[in-house]
Amino acid sequence: LDDRSRADDDESVKRILLCCALAVAPQIADAAPCSELTNPIYLQVGDTQVNLMKRLGRALRDNTNKPITLVWVTSGSCVNIQAIYTGVAIAANTNMAYVPSVAEDGAWVPSSPTLTCQAPAGGKVPDIANSALFNSACTTETPPSTVELTYGPVQAYVMAVPEASSQTAITFEEAYFVFGFGLAGMVEPWSDEAALFIRTATKSTLLAWAANISVPADKWKGVRHDGSTMVVSSLQSATTPEKAIGILGAEVYDSLRDTLNVLAFRAKGQYAAYYPDSTATARDKQNVRDGHYTVWSPTVWMDKTSAATPVNADARYVIDLIAGKAVTPAINFDMIKIIADVGLVPDCAMGVNRAFEGGPLSLYTPAQSCVCKYESLVDTSSCAICSDQSPCASGVCRNGYCEVQ
Amino acid sequence: MKTIVLVLLIAVGCGGDNNSVKQDAGAKDAGMDTAPDASCFENPTTHHEIINACTTAQKIYKSTKPPLQNADGTLPSLPP
Repeated sequence: LDDRSRADDDESVKRILLCCALAVAPQIADAAPCSELTNPIYLQVGDTQVNLMKRLGRALRDNTNKPITLVWVTSGSCVNIQAIYTGVAIAANTNMAYVPSVAEDGAWVPSSPTLTCQAPAGGKVPDIANSALFNSACTTETPPSTVELTYGPVQAYVMAVPEASSQTAITFEEAYFVFGFGLAGMVEPWSDEAALFIRTATKSTLLAWAANISVPADKWKGVRHDGSTMVVSSLQSATTPEKAIGILGAEVYDSLRDTLNVLAFRAKGQYAAYYPDSTATARDKQNVRDGHYTVWSPTVWMDKTSAATPVNADARYVIDLIAGKAVTPAINFDMIKIIADVGLVPDCAMGVNRAFEGGPLSLYTPAQSCVCKYESLVDTSSCAICSDQSPCASGVCRNGYCEVQ
Repeated sequence: MKTIVLVLLIAVGCGGDNNSVKQDAGAKDAGMDTAPDASCFENPTTHHEIINACTTAQKIYKSTKPPLQNADGTLPSLPP
């Protein structure tokens, strides 16, 4: 290159750098260090858990007896598991999400954008890592003795189609051919591999479906998206809606029901196809809870321990809360309502259980049922109401309802 | 001997429990139904019974079979 060309190139590079600096500068100026927030707890979660993070994050910021700021990044469940098993830090200065307290922004609602702060210099191993499916679906590695696994609410996964699609159901056999063979499977209308919107192989949404339709994660046909939002936008903008189909977490779908439709699923050996809810429009997750809808996983929440004691007591406080355990000090909000509102099912409302991803279902009776309470939130409860002054004729008074036990 | 055969026939006919399955009622292609399935299980205990337990939830029946599904209902191996 001659000197003139080199000088032109240098000038161009300077212009580009200046533009980049101008573009980034406001973000950096706005992104305060996360460490300056009130009692930050760092989480690395699946993107299916963002709705939970936003609502629980808001509640915890104003949790009178123990205010906490949830600060999170999203990644695939398998990546999150490895992060806490092997101590992989969230990189220094990574932009992390959190929500404002009421004092900071009284008008904030879960559909509002999150705020951004920066991970500490030197990086930060997450206090809490989340997997939205059984860890064994990602790795056969035994969890380190220094990592505690806690099972949280149940997460259903759905196959969704654009609002304009006329499809209402898919069977196990159809799904096997659609996603295992693609075009060669000859299952109409889902024969266009460019209209099958799936996820990458570390994501719980794909792995959960893989276990339920007997198509290993690396064998799936379709367009692999890194994020749920990309699957959503692909479905919403599909030029041939009838041929389009995508996989999502149920709670992602639940917030988009006006633009997408869920497909009922008929599992292997099942006589009919069922929605996660009792009908296409209900929000009661009845079929997840009683076993008619089989595509679901527990969410798993992991934190570090030392000599069987939590390394970060406040991280364990958050996990216990998500898992439905009693916490001290008591919270000033309704945790079951937060879980129900985001489309998850608390363990205490489940009537079935399983031991591994896609495994056979068995009947389950939670130690302290919250079925009445949960149903009162998502539908209507036929359970008797109770209080200290008005005890139950039978069962146990819990959360204002006479639960069976 | 006749008594033994009769007892065996009764035992087989009862299926050994009260949850014996009736035949698959799934013949209404893409039909929707919120009435309990005629072939459902009233008191499910196994996985098969749980997923086919009686329910008033909305059901959708599909009788169409993928073209590549084997005649006996099994599935061919996935392509490499």
